[in-house]
Amino acid sequence: MASLAALKNRLEQIEEQSYYEILRVPSGASVEDIKAAFHDFALDVHPDRYVDADPGTAGVAAEIFKRGVESYKVLSNRKTRAAYDEGLLDGRLRYVEGRPAPAAAPVVRTMTLEEIAMRPRAKQHALKADRFIAAGRLDDARIALVNAIQEDFDNDDLKERLNKLYRDMSAGPIALDLDYRPRR
Amino acid sequence: MGVAVGIDLGTTNTVVAVMRDGKPVTLADEAGRKLIPSFVAFHPAGKVLVGESAKDRRVVDPSNTIYSVKRLIGRTYASDEVQRSLKTMPFEIVEGDKQGVRVVARGEVYTLPEISAFVLRRAKAVAEAALGEVVDRAVITVPANFNDPQRAATKLAGKLAGLEVLRILNEPTAAALAYGQTAGKPERIAVYDLGGGTFDITLLDLSGEVFEVLATGGDTSLGGDDVDQAIAAEMANFFLKNFRFDPRPDPTARALLRARAEKLKHALSDREEASIDMNDVVRGNGGAFVPASFSMTRKALEVLTNPLIDRTIDTCRFSIETIGLEPNEVERILLVGGATRMPVVARRVEEYFQRPADGKVNPDEVVAQGAAVQAAALTKTQAKATPDKGAAAREKAKAAPPPAAPPPAAKPVLAPTLSRDEAPYEPTPAAPRAPLPPPPGRPPPPPPRGATALGKIPLVKQAAPAAPVETLEELDLAIESVEPVGPSFDFDLELPPAARGGAARAPQAAAEQRQVIRPVRGAPPPAAGSEPRLPQAPPAADYATLPSFDAAPPAALPPPAPAAVHAPPPEPPPRAAPLLIDVTPISLGVEVAGGFCDFLIRANTPVPCDRTRVFRTASDNQTAVRVRVVQGESQRFSENTYLGDLELSGLRAAPRGEVQVAVTFEIDADGILNVRAKEEGTGRETVARMNLLGAQTDTEEVAAMMARQRKHEVA
Repeated sequence: MASLAALKNRLEQIEEQSYYEILRVPSGASVEDIKAAFHDFALDVHPDRYVDADPGTAGVAAEIFKRGVESYKVLSNRKTRAAYDEGLLDGRLRYVEGRPAPAAAPVVRTMTLEEIAMRPRAKQHALKADRFIAAGRLDDARIALVNAIQEDFDNDDLKERLNKLYRDMSAGPIALDLDYRPRR
Repeated sequence: MGVAVGIDLGTTNTVVAVMRDGKPVTLADEAGRKLIPSFVAFHPAGKVLVGESAKDRRVVDPSNTIYSVKRLIGRTYASDEVQRSLKTMPFEIVEGDKQGVRVVARGEVYTLPEISAFVLRRAKAVAEAALGEVVDRAVITVPANFNDPQRAATKLAGKLAGLEVLRILNEPTAAALAYGQTAGKPERIAVYDLGGGTFDITLLDLSGEVFEVLATGGDTSLGGDDVDQAIAAEMANFFLKNFRFDPRPDPTARALLRARAEKLKHALSDREEASIDMNDVVRGNGGAFVPASFSMTRKALEVLTNPLIDRTIDTCRFSIETIGLEPNEVERILLVGGATRMPVVARRVEEYFQRPADGKVNPDEVVAQGAAVQAAALTKTQAKATPDKGAAAREKAKAAPPPAAPPPAAKPVLAPTLSRDEAPYEPTPAAPRAPLPPPPGRPPPPPPRGATALGKIPLVKQAAPAAPVETLEELDLAIESVEPVGPSFDFDLELPPAARGGAARAPQAAAEQRQVIRPVRGAPPPAAGSEPRLPQAPPAADYATLPSFDAAPPAALPPPAPAAVHAPPPEPPPRAAPLLIDVTPISLGVEVAGGFCDFLIRANTPVPCDRTRVFRTASDNQTAVRVRVVQGESQRFSENTYLGDLELSGLRAAPRGEVQVAVTFEIDADGILNVRAKEEGTGRETVARMNLLGAQTDTEEVAAMMARQRKHEVA
């Protein structure tokens, strides 16, 4: 069982994590993987596992668990997962059911490609791609991103971003900056 | 600290169990009875009788003998179930404040949690007498489909009874836990729980360490009682046809019919045809009873029962489809609840799932036992740790017959559990079982998520903190727009027309018959000449704040019970209880424009869970926002069960829309709704108050209820 400090740390991190990261599964994980991951997650942070700890610790565990439940529910359903994945591309870490985000919704910042890339060489290429995108040079960005993916061959998120880039390119030249706005 | 027990607080009977040596054991009273009828009789002498003695009072003093409160608890006075009960119950039911329900006995008005508290106090006393230890904590079970007010009322009942309620646990989940104690391999199971008054279906995945509820569904107004009603209606027709006499208008005759109907139903579980004497129903010329006999075939009963079973199967189908399975993908069927003893029920369920049902569970005791398993799991380890002596002695004691003359003191009645076919449970292996290969047809378990898998996790550690991603719905709700509270909705029972006219006193009849049909076995006889006394240990520190119900001062403690049967439990095995992930059975929603319902938390979401939603003021300088909250599955707000309204008050006076309040609706592990609110931006805590219909939440009210409990001794 994790200590109070460790749990608090985890709870803080959760605010910046996607559902995949909360459950610690790759973004291409199967339904069975997600289920097993949720079980492991629950064994870690379900408040009932903290009956021997003080109520404060169990309370922090419960807060983490509730975010896991949210993640699990969304990722377990094919439809909500697809919608979530779509939103995730725009940097929305939490899923909102049904309706499009209202006008007053806070603007969400998208992760840079450099942040998504994992290996050092991939990061270099990704940084280039980021700069090309910022400059509106989408084709150059595409080449840089492909290079990055060759370094980071198992990085599904990077591949998803490439797909998004292709979509943006086919939609015609748009002035993009690092802060992608959520598309309606 | 005392012992934690599991209590199945049933419509007709209550059962209490405890974990001993890693095994759940049902506890019996001094007469060896394991089923405590959920009857509460207010005796003229001021005593409150619970159980068999209370059931006896029903004939003598029907207006002061309360039963079947589980059908009414947590409902509003206007609900169908309460309105039906008004006509059939011999005791007085009145409306309390906030549309709540009260019962009247001996001139005093009681809330329903108070009545349940008397039953729980009796269960507590039975357990204390059997164990010779103080019982101060409990897991109490409720039908899986109980909604928030029903759960909250049950929890309050536990508190009033002087129990710390460790958990409000769903009955089918409890059954699965008890079953899981004996099951070794991972399986997907269905628990079909048809009790006296409620039906539940729950689908679970059991794996070694985690029991996950996949879906649950049910009907809180459907049970064995309805079968009795249908039979009673047939009987009434029989009298009408053959004697030109309608017994229905006469309450006594109606009660008789119900009792006979239940007896006949039980008989037809064993035989193809049965008849029953009805010599005390119709009076002829001169007032003498006319001899009569009513007979029925099993086939005829099945014709009556099938519409009810159809409804349960529909609910099963809905739950199965919810999680995208086929019925034959369920690997095991557990039948729980007395009504599943009807062969037609088992047959129909087996037909639907295309698989024979498991015959190893005792439908009456398995729920309390599962609650005991969970009570042990939710108990702090240090409280459980006791020296590992006496385990061997106890083993010996178990093998030996019960002592011929137990010493005068608490008589521990640790009766072995009997299964449906009377085969004792296999001892539960305490150690984790070796993993077995998955059964055919199941996908192989996913590989452990090790380093390689971790490599695929997208890294975002360096990502700048995203702005609050809560793209939340905003809802404009002005306080002016609040409408008067509408009637609460209830499940409507669709019985064949004939059944509606039938008398409705099944619960008492059910309780009455149970002992006759299924005598309790295996309990040692009571000691001669010793009045059973509740041994009361010195109250624990936190116990002092609760009323002590026992008159016996700690100084008068009886000597400890015989060591052989009664030694302290051994060192607990490594926590064998699996982690239980249960779900909320009903969706939670709020009212939005146009009379629609906006769901915040969907049914079958694991608990605890929460959802935050932002609400804004709709007019200038509005300092309060009111939101109406329901539970149910209908898109139309009014078709769901109205829980009450949420009032956000003390808001900052500002132009409309400027004040935004983020409200977090939490469903806790008990399935009970908690609400908290914060002003967006300023982070200022806002007062969020749930005005629940019919609920007793005020400290003063609870104190008054506590005081009334203290006034009565329970026997």
